[in-house]
Amino acid sequence: MTYTLTRVEDALAAENERYPLEKRERVDDPMQQQVHRSVFTGKLDEVLNSTVNWGRKHSLWPYNFGLSCCYVEMTTAFTAPHDVARFGAEVIRASPRQADFMVIAGTCFVKMAPVIQQLYDQMLEPKWVISMGSCANSGGMYDIYSVVQGVDKFLPVDVYVPGCPPRPEAFLQGLQLLQDSIQEERRPLSWVVGDQGVYRAEMPSQREKHRDRRIQVTELRTPDSI
Amino acid sequence: MSVDTADNSTVRADGQHNSLLVAQLREQFGGQLLHEQGTLTGMPVLWVSRGALVDVLTTLRQLPEHPFEMLFDLSAIDERLRSRRHGLPESDFTVFYQLLSVSGNRDILLKVALSERDLSLPTVTPVYRNANWYEREVWDMYGVRFEGHPNLSRILMPPTWNGHPLRKDHHARATEVDPYEMTVESQEREQEAMQFQPEDWGMQRQSESTEFMFLNLGPNHPSAHGAFRIVLQLDGEEIIDCVPDIGYHHRGAEKMAERQSWHSFIPYTDRIDYVGGVMNNLPYVMAVEKLAGIEVTARIQTVRVMMSELFRITSHLLFLGTYLQDLGAMSPVFYTFTDRQKGYEVIEAITGFRMHPAWFRIGGLMQDLPKGWDKLVQGFVDWMPARLNEYEKVMMENSMVRDRTRHIAAFDTANALDWGVTGPNLRATGCDFDLRKQRPYSGYENFDFEVPLGSNGDAFDRGQLRIEEMRQSVKILQQCVNNMPEGDYKADHPLTTPPPRERMLEHIETLITHFLQVSWGPVLPANESLQMVEATKGINSYYLTSDGSTMSYRTRIRTPSFPHLQQIPDLMRGGFVPDLIAHLGSLDFVMADVDR
Repeated sequence: MTYTLTRVEDALAAENERYPLEKRERVDDPMQQQVHRSVFTGKLDEVLNSTVNWGRKHSLWPYNFGLSCCYVEMTTAFTAPHDVARFGAEVIRASPRQADFMVIAGTCFVKMAPVIQQLYDQMLEPKWVISMGSCANSGGMYDIYSVVQGVDKFLPVDVYVPGCPPRPEAFLQGLQLLQDSIQEERRPLSWVVGDQGVYRAEMPSQREKHRDRRIQVTELRTPDSI
Repeated sequence: MSVDTADNSTVRADGQHNSLLVAQLREQFGGQLLHEQGTLTGMPVLWVSRGALVDVLTTLRQLPEHPFEMLFDLSAIDERLRSRRHGLPESDFTVFYQLLSVSGNRDILLKVALSERDLSLPTVTPVYRNANWYEREVWDMYGVRFEGHPNLSRILMPPTWNGHPLRKDHHARATEVDPYEMTVESQEREQEAMQFQPEDWGMQRQSESTEFMFLNLGPNHPSAHGAFRIVLQLDGEEIIDCVPDIGYHHRGAEKMAERQSWHSFIPYTDRIDYVGGVMNNLPYVMAVEKLAGIEVTARIQTVRVMMSELFRITSHLLFLGTYLQDLGAMSPVFYTFTDRQKGYEVIEAITGFRMHPAWFRIGGLMQDLPKGWDKLVQGFVDWMPARLNEYEKVMMENSMVRDRTRHIAAFDTANALDWGVTGPNLRATGCDFDLRKQRPYSGYENFDFEVPLGSNGDAFDRGQLRIEEMRQSVKILQQCVNNMPEGDYKADHPLTTPPPRERMLEHIETLITHFLQVSWGPVLPANESLQMVEATKGINSYYLTSDGSTMSYRTRIRTPSFPHLQQIPDLMRGGFVPDLIAHLGSLDFVMADVDR
């Protein structure tokens, strides 16, 4: 499997540098590197990593952050009919310092962007970003002077959820995709053990994964009856 | 004074009332009234000279009979590229003032012409207090200066912005300019510019006995309902003063309207009051229909009412859940969102979408009601009343809720009208002004429902009243199920968009016409029209100016939440921080409805 590597020192702000601050490089499995050096730390490391990741992905604390319409659908996912607690993500935090991931639920405005960056900076590692809805993904239908054309112009995004706004179910799917990718991550197990870098697995594109099944659909239900 | 007699002028003065008023003003101000413009707005439109503006407004405000208590709207229009002006006074930028008389149930629109070289006007804040934010908005969007304004600064755009976006020579698209880029340096600069300076607002940093604390609440705060910021000047927990800061949710909807066809702008209206769904389509399509001269069938009207009322219920349910959550109750939001889900099941089955169906069309609907719709709506109508009773019992009779909200942020009708407050927040003061009754539109006159009123105008009444409003909406839904008229879901008119498909398939001419109307969009006659509706949060209106093209020349969207937020400091001085949270919850606003 191929990984994207982000090193800790690369995420530090230097004079007049562009956001997103972190630099990413594509690398091979860090395990492979270990093996080639003929040092076998394999099994224990693997078990530890996967245990830690398992814990992380099932206890994701969302940051209570909303911008516009998408936030209403995100909140809907948090309430009884959709019940986000099934995925261990119901502990909504009002402070970025206590949260694990941030959902950019809504339009990213030019006036709001510095605030979003500030809040993101206040979150502690490990942290992830879900971009929810067309506006956050790309500006969507708002190609207009006051809107940043996609939050990834300055934030690193882990999962994109399409829709305007996406249904609560779509948000839940996005959350599960984030969980899948967290399971594959490699982070330092401590400040003194191993490589001090974050390896993010390159997850397969959902569009390509489901294309075959989707193009097989030939009959669509008529909207003339319920 | 000249009276516009252009071919498309339809002076629809509502009886003698308006002509008497205009005659009276003419007598008093003579040559200062430059022109009476014929429009489809349904109200007198008078051009006044810059020098007489304040006097005319003062006179109208102090009329002995049915004074204009409310400055309903104030904005401007960049006239430099407008080609069909039909004898209107020379103007590069026109600032307009729309006044509303609640007691007389009438309106008037004043316009002032400005030359590009001299863009300044006297402030009208001494006459109408709520002109403050509107004048700042006009400065921000058009660069018109208001002499004597207490703090003429940007309100929607960031303080570091260059240019005035609603000017015709300002770019509309983000992709017309260099892509957005954030650097460490620009981030520091923006953060610096966002710092609150009490001196800018005439605030003291300390009094004789104490040093004030300045608490920054927002633009991201769980009880701020979106990207809203308010800076509090505190002495202990007491709010000495506060300054709301908006514009973190400005999506440029008005500029967007100037480059979308009349038809393709409909989805943008859904996202103005984003929990109001198709309720937002209604004023827009009705204003367009006035321009086009389309009359819709009774079925279209009734379906529109039904869908709007469904959205009023889902919006009020969201209000109720979050309002009680702001007061510290965790569970209501789980209950009300369960009901919202039931509502969305009906909405989705009918329109195919949940929050933003964009389902109304110019001259009709996107499609007819699907088979079996009545059972679905009936199911929802049967479900709601018991739930509403439960909410009332469990929540509004809860002593903690009562203690937190009774006599909190209370205001009377005079204060409400002064600030431009409309909708449930106005009716909570006991003022019986609901457009569905006062100026029935879309067939509301055929429905039997009551307008619930409050008496104290406090945070409690505002909550209680909305529960009662939901009951009335359920009653309207029941009448829709019982008496849905038969008929077409598209009006028989050449400008109905999209036109009926059967008409296209006749011969090549009809095919070409259809193609043009769908690809370029319909061309609407040059004129001005305006439509107000009683939306979920108050009066929402669209003031459209057509220059005879496929796109709007100017679309002014008057939203109810904008004045509601402007009123906050007036109410909160002397209150406590928890009172502010209760008040924010009881106001029922979404930021898209403020910043557009």
